[in-house]
Amino acid sequence: MKLLLGLAIGTAIGAVMQLGGASSYRKILGSLLLKDMTIIKLILMTIAVTTVGIYALDLVDMAHMDIKPTYIVGIIIAGLIFGVGFAISGYCPGTCILASAEGKTDAMFTLLGGLVGAALYALVYPLMLPLINLTNFGEITLASVFNVNNGIWIAIPFSAILLLLVFRVLKDRYE
Amino acid sequence: MQDSPVLSWKVAGLLLGLLVILATALVKPFGVSTQYVVTDAIVLHSAAPAIAESNEYLNKYGQKDDWSVGYGWMLVLGMFLGSGIAAMATHRFRQRKNPAMSAMWQEQFGDHKGKRLIQAFIGGVLLLFGARLAGGCTSGHMISGISQLTVGSFVFGISIFASGILTARALYRKRSSS
Repeated sequence: MKLLLGLAIGTAIGAVMQLGGASSYRKILGSLLLKDMTIIKLILMTIAVTTVGIYALDLVDMAHMDIKPTYIVGIIIAGLIFGVGFAISGYCPGTCILASAEGKTDAMFTLLGGLVGAALYALVYPLMLPLINLTNFGEITLASVFNVNNGIWIAIPFSAILLLLVFRVLKDRYE
Repeated sequence: MQDSPVLSWKVAGLLLGLLVILATALVKPFGVSTQYVVTDAIVLHSAAPAIAESNEYLNKYGQKDDWSVGYGWMLVLGMFLGSGIAAMATHRFRQRKNPAMSAMWQEQFGDHKGKRLIQAFIGGVLLLFGARLAGGCTSGHMISGISQLTVGSFVFGISIFASGILTARALYRKRSSS
């Protein structure tokens, strides 16, 4: 049952992302070159909706939250590596799957490279542990850092700022 | 040249947000990069069982007779199907003249299929190495993580865009100055 649910939600997510242009090399590079804001706006819009939704669910104890640990140094280094891969491939781990389904061969190579990258990480994982244990603050959120009981009080203003950004500040194109 | 997406960022963002909320209400927030490890665990358990069974990291995501192809893996499989269906329904399946590269890449680097595929592959290696070190990718950290107001996810988001923007600028240097 849960498997079918995953398949159904995944199919809807994949379709929406594809229709939104998330699997397009041109759109992703356009974002990174700060010329075409479509994908950045799509991501920020998604976050604006989701943040309020998740914290509204949390109010009635219905959110199955999954907070990842915050290890500052390790995450910064990881992000720098990821960012280079992002710009070189023009995909991310999810969108290369979407683009592969569209028949784009470069995306299939990114997908294969991803499997190799994950295996490489599994091999060197013991060496990475010190990096993960360094500056590890555990499962912290803005709500826990500011000692706010109901995260919704941070979620609402945060989403409002994002909506302001996408509707008023960021333009679709800068050329 | 298919430049404008079928759905605007407003509609796509709203729908995607509602789907992630639904996933969080029913099971858990959405993430992709873990499933690369799950897939590796499946492949390595049949191809190189000795290595797979002794690997601490792979064992977190699947063991000999329990590969944990579960909800998350099916979700990613669904994403593949959903994208394919959407692309076919809107006649954007294999739209590119050259399936290996975007016209934008070709303009900058020339018609070198091998070069593009090597680049895409190396990019993939870096993406997943980084995502696994961070504990998530654009979906798990950026979308699901920031939406839960996770501090590390904000750090990850800033870091990937800083690095991605600098790298993209270096790659498209000539083009920007023209």
